[in-house]
Amino acid sequence: MTTGELFLQQLINGLNLGAMYSLLALGFTLVYGIMELINFSHFNVFMVGAFIALGVLRLMGLDGQIVILTGLPLVVVILVAFVVTMFSTGMIGVGIERLLLRPLRAVTGPAAMILTIGVSYILFNIILIGVGGDTRNFANPLPSVSWHFGEATLRLRDVLIWGITIVLMLGLTYFVQFTKLGKGMRATAQDPEAARMMGVEVDNVVGLSFFIGSALAGASGLIFGLYYNYAKVDMGFSAGLRAFTAAVLGGIGNVPGAMLGGVLIGLIEAGSSQLIGQAWADVIIFSILVIVLVFRPAGLLGRQAPNKS
Amino acid sequence: MAVTDILARPFASWSQQKRQGWATILVAVAFAIYPFLTDDDSNIDTIANAMSYATLALGLNIVVGFAGLLDLGYAAFFAIGAYYYGIFTAYQVMPPWSSGWEPLAAVGLVEKINQGGGDLVHFTLSFWLALPTGALVAGLFGVLFGAPTLRLRGDYLAIVTLGFGEIVPIVARNADSITNGAAGLNGVKGPALPAIKALGFEGYSFGVNATPYYYVGMVLVAILIFSSIRLRDSRIGRAWMAIREDETAASAMGINLRNFKLLAFAIGASFSGFTGVYFVSKLQVATPEMFNFSVSSMLIVMVVLGGMGSVWGVVVGAALLQLLQTWILPRSTDVIRAIGESVGSDFLMAADLVQWTQMFFGIIIVVMMLFRREGLIPATRAQPKLDLEEQQADVKRGGFVNVDRIEKWNPGTGNALEIKDVTVRFGGLVALNKVSLTIPAGGVIAVIGPNGSGKSTLFNAITGLVPSEGSIKFEGHELIGLRPDEVLAAGVARTFQNIRLFPKLTVLENVLIGQHCRLKTLPFGAIFRPPAARAEEQGALRKALDILGLFGNRLSPRANHTVAGLSYANRRRVEISRALASRPRILLLDEPTAGMNPNETLELAEQIGELNAMGLTILIIEHKLDVVTRLANRVTVLDHGDVIAEGTADEVQRNEEVLTAYLGRAHRAKIEAQDAAAKENANG
Amino acid sequence: MISRRSAFKAAAGIAAAGTFAVTEGAQAADKTVKVAMNLSLTGADSESAIRVGNGAILAFEDANKYGEVPGIKFDLVKFDDGTATAGQYDPAQAATNARKMVSDKGFIAALGPQMSGAGKAMSPILSEGNLAIITPSSTNPDITDPKFAAQYRPKGKAVYFRTVTTDAYQGPNMANFLAKTVGIKSVYILDDSGAYGVGIADSFQKRCGELGLNVLGRDRLDPKAADYSAVLTKIKSLNADGLYYGGVAQAGVKLAKQVAEILPKIVRAGGDGIYGVELLKGAGFPAADGWYASNASPHKDDGDKKMKEFSDRFNARFKGSPDDYTLTMYVAARAIIETVKVLQAGGKPINRDTVRDGLQAIRMANSLIGPVEFDENGDLKNKVISVFQVKKDASKPLDNMDDQFAYIGVAPMS
Repeated sequence: MTTGELFLQQLINGLNLGAMYSLLALGFTLVYGIMELINFSHFNVFMVGAFIALGVLRLMGLDGQIVILTGLPLVVVILVAFVVTMFSTGMIGVGIERLLLRPLRAVTGPAAMILTIGVSYILFNIILIGVGGDTRNFANPLPSVSWHFGEATLRLRDVLIWGITIVLMLGLTYFVQFTKLGKGMRATAQDPEAARMMGVEVDNVVGLSFFIGSALAGASGLIFGLYYNYAKVDMGFSAGLRAFTAAVLGGIGNVPGAMLGGVLIGLIEAGSSQLIGQAWADVIIFSILVIVLVFRPAGLLGRQAPNKS
Repeated sequence: MAVTDILARPFASWSQQKRQGWATILVAVAFAIYPFLTDDDSNIDTIANAMSYATLALGLNIVVGFAGLLDLGYAAFFAIGAYYYGIFTAYQVMPPWSSGWEPLAAVGLVEKINQGGGDLVHFTLSFWLALPTGALVAGLFGVLFGAPTLRLRGDYLAIVTLGFGEIVPIVARNADSITNGAAGLNGVKGPALPAIKALGFEGYSFGVNATPYYYVGMVLVAILIFSSIRLRDSRIGRAWMAIREDETAASAMGINLRNFKLLAFAIGASFSGFTGVYFVSKLQVATPEMFNFSVSSMLIVMVVLGGMGSVWGVVVGAALLQLLQTWILPRSTDVIRAIGESVGSDFLMAADLVQWTQMFFGIIIVVMMLFRREGLIPATRAQPKLDLEEQQADVKRGGFVNVDRIEKWNPGTGNALEIKDVTVRFGGLVALNKVSLTIPAGGVIAVIGPNGSGKSTLFNAITGLVPSEGSIKFEGHELIGLRPDEVLAAGVARTFQNIRLFPKLTVLENVLIGQHCRLKTLPFGAIFRPPAARAEEQGALRKALDILGLFGNRLSPRANHTVAGLSYANRRRVEISRALASRPRILLLDEPTAGMNPNETLELAEQIGELNAMGLTILIIEHKLDVVTRLANRVTVLDHGDVIAEGTADEVQRNEEVLTAYLGRAHRAKIEAQDAAAKENANG
Repeated sequence: MISRRSAFKAAAGIAAAGTFAVTEGAQAADKTVKVAMNLSLTGADSESAIRVGNGAILAFEDANKYGEVPGIKFDLVKFDDGTATAGQYDPAQAATNARKMVSDKGFIAALGPQMSGAGKAMSPILSEGNLAIITPSSTNPDITDPKFAAQYRPKGKAVYFRTVTTDAYQGPNMANFLAKTVGIKSVYILDDSGAYGVGIADSFQKRCGELGLNVLGRDRLDPKAADYSAVLTKIKSLNADGLYYGGVAQAGVKLAKQVAEILPKIVRAGGDGIYGVELLKGAGFPAADGWYASNASPHKDDGDKKMKEFSDRFNARFKGSPDDYTLTMYVAARAIIETVKVLQAGGKPINRDTVRDGLQAIRMANSLIGPVEFDENGDLKNKVISVFQVKKDASKPLDNMDDQFAYIGVAPMS
């Protein structure tokens, strides 16, 4: 492997990680943008999403890495898995918002954030007690197609993870920018009171943002499973923490920021694995986060002067 | 509360303080004799473990409960304390021996050992020395971790502290040469009491017997409860709570945000460092996994359950959660299984509630946040009820009472405040455009203008809350570039248009916070209360009561009520009292009578006049023209960030531009037409 | 196959052991002796803890049922060193448990812990109380290292016995195997940041140096991370012949999947951390195929009647197959039973002092893991390391260890 090929391969590795983090970061950023709430339950909605997806695929007869699909069956299976998973996690998100967070909407201080930590605990333990703590083999129906650039390899799943991430991101951007509901969301993010007075149904908008954010977490869970072929109850914390860091790094509340942050963190992780050692990756990621926040408190692309007063 | 009420009934004649004192002594004695009542070392050990969690919760309570800084990586400091002691007693870091180590060997900090090969240095840090120094080391790390995060808003702080909480165990795991990595430190020493020959005391090594650790833990808990309470009831605790309630107001009331947040981080961390030393000496093992996120989040659960900011609450929270894990859940499991056995239910026989512990944590958090955010034992004390006499006392309108208890001001001569060409921009918007204004010493100047004209922005610029260009000189000193707390210390105090008191604190505490910049007590003084600190605190209390006394029986009987429960007018009065408490040389009042009825307005106007008569210079924003007319020597009118008129109240009322600004052009035309008609009539 | 449901039945089995005393076959006049069992039942390791614990439950149930030691009834008391606070094993809780065991004179011996971190906290306390413990799986050499005797056995006598070989042997012997038997020339070493993984990888690396096997690099994986492709890409660029992984299944199964994709041709090997059902179930085929795994005990091949009989009994009782540490736990329990049997036969009193001394002297020539004898530090004298390789046998259940791990032979000793 030449240095150039090595660099290319690590770039691909980093970008793939980045896609995963970006997608997960979108949900954080969306909810934060609307409610200024750091939603720790997102970590484990993602994890639950992966398990739901695992179940859905199993119901369709896909278990382990034995069955490989191509053509229309593959598309249908993947579509069904996405729709079911995203809808289920979306409804979990709506449930969390409606039952637990709405009563706290008027409460100032960290109460809502702390509550989401509790919800995260509960989701984690539902899976731990109900399914178990072992690593579960996740179905992989994707044919093993790849393209070679020298010794560097680009696999079908690499392309797929990016394809899906970009589609979801464009869809989200379109939705937020151009639809009536999306405009309502943006208005609510700016000033919930004013939005309410202008006839925006703030409750619906907040619920919707939770639905979309959690559905995206579910989608990330499914993609994670397809890409890494496993699901495990503790997968939420590590991936979620990095995704969340990505959102903050890029500027929380900012959709392109989440993407930028995710890609940066993916590249940092791949780079530190190559140069220093993967065990230090978290140290490097958080050090960079602290440095960025000291000099740009709102993140790389965030709104400046984010002082709540 | 109900249970404690019933328990307290027979002792109703005692003062609350006396009851609490005796209850504390009773609990302490019960804990002290417990080891004599059990022959099971593990029960003693379990309680000793619970004690270390209680001390951690107390430390986290300083950061989260008092100062309101959500720290999700608190276990990092625990790890630092533990590894500090561990590294300096274990057989891990052993540099080669040289004669340079001899002085340290003489005082017992190191010893020379030989494991085959050359002579090596083995650190033998004494446990008793490690406790305070461990606290210090962890405190330093608290400052180090806190410093870059303090500029961040609360949410960001949470994520960055979470990151630090991850980093510390990773470093412990990967810095093998110092920490022995994942395998953990070997040979961490237990504490020992040194021999005292004169008394015939042979010395005592704690070894693995749980009882001595139990007593050390008990003393630690006592020390930290004591310190927490002393800090809470001091200038420092009040400053933290002010920051928690409202950062901007805290800053405007003279609290240096950076220093006091760092202090909270440092003291919180030092509690944890203290505990780390204790914990690792008891366990004699330190591994990186002992300090992961579960520990930090468990501590959050303890604080949430007990009550954020409540010292006794978090101790009870820690105790309850330990009890839940070690006793309630295992016992309930046994009971459920016994039931299952008797009814022949496989499901019940297979139950294991211990597996559900974390689920219960989650449920506890959710339930507490939804239904009892203040925790089981809330930090806010019960409000003393007004007695009948106080309730029915005739609240009479009038000026200040007992004015003689307050020091008069000496306004001096010349100009108190000289504002020159001050410009404030928000992005592209110019909120103030080269505004100039002079306030003579001892005068009352009013600023008026329509909404959005820049009046409050002017106040914010003077008090350092928004950055500005130009020059603002107070008694010859430039204010621009100073922080809000420095501006207050210089003698410029203010109130806010939308009242920014600290709602969960009492009237008295609010006024005491006003005195913050005039008091000097530091953590040492707050905890140990040497005579000087005690005198200062008593002086501050007296002064606060005197200031409240100015408003007669409107505020004095309510001194121990939380501000949130006061009437609107009383809150205005408290805010003015708080500003006066800082002993300002000029007082900036932002619409002090807004929302008051005509009677109250008149009363306050009289009182403001009285303050001025006592020598206090006043700058006031006011909409009510009768107040302005009554009080102000001169009036400045702002519109769209420009000064459009200046003069006496009468003069500006006739100023055409002012009329336009206030009433709009059409209205002005109407008035002009009326004026013209009147003139014609007069002429005709 | 251990399905989720059957694993739960197994959980029920061990849960019942909390107050477990099998009455069947016991005489009214029997003397009851208590044996403590310390496992990490709460948190991340709970499932494997249940599997391991079932080994001891089976041993004592059978001993009681068949009246193996006349006049003696064994009462196995479960202790949990996992706490929700730690989210896994908690050394502080392990120390508390050790104190509880020492305080109750009814305990004659103990089993566990699973983790060396817990073992380090327990050992000094047990030494003070002279209560012997036999660990089925904690392999950190420090605890029994005479260098640290003052720390871990302040009273001098060994109390920390093992039915598992320490990391000090598995790593080097696998290095011998890879260099001499497989014949690779260069290797890259990974570990999973855990105490076990780092230790075994360190000892592997040291031996490589002695053998002249070219170590191209050493890296530490973050066990919670999902993606090891960057590390593997680095290894690919170095053209390593072999990859050695020191660690447990948590990172191991993810690594196996990604190695299969990125380094399909590399020779890969690990310790007993990946010799288990989790590799087969979690990584699956084809990812698991080809992995070498060592195990710190001699192998009894499938034809061994005793082993077959054990598996059947275990299966009948717990509806699942035993794994490696179930075996070592079973043998540990058997060592206690044998010791008590010897004491009883000799008419000696049965208490923790005699049991400790008895364990020190016990000889089990033909246990399920081969000859068991402890040296003066408590370590197993027999240090045979077996090597297995995953070879897919599609005709058998894909998640059965005995079917899919093919026995290769004994790793050459250093």
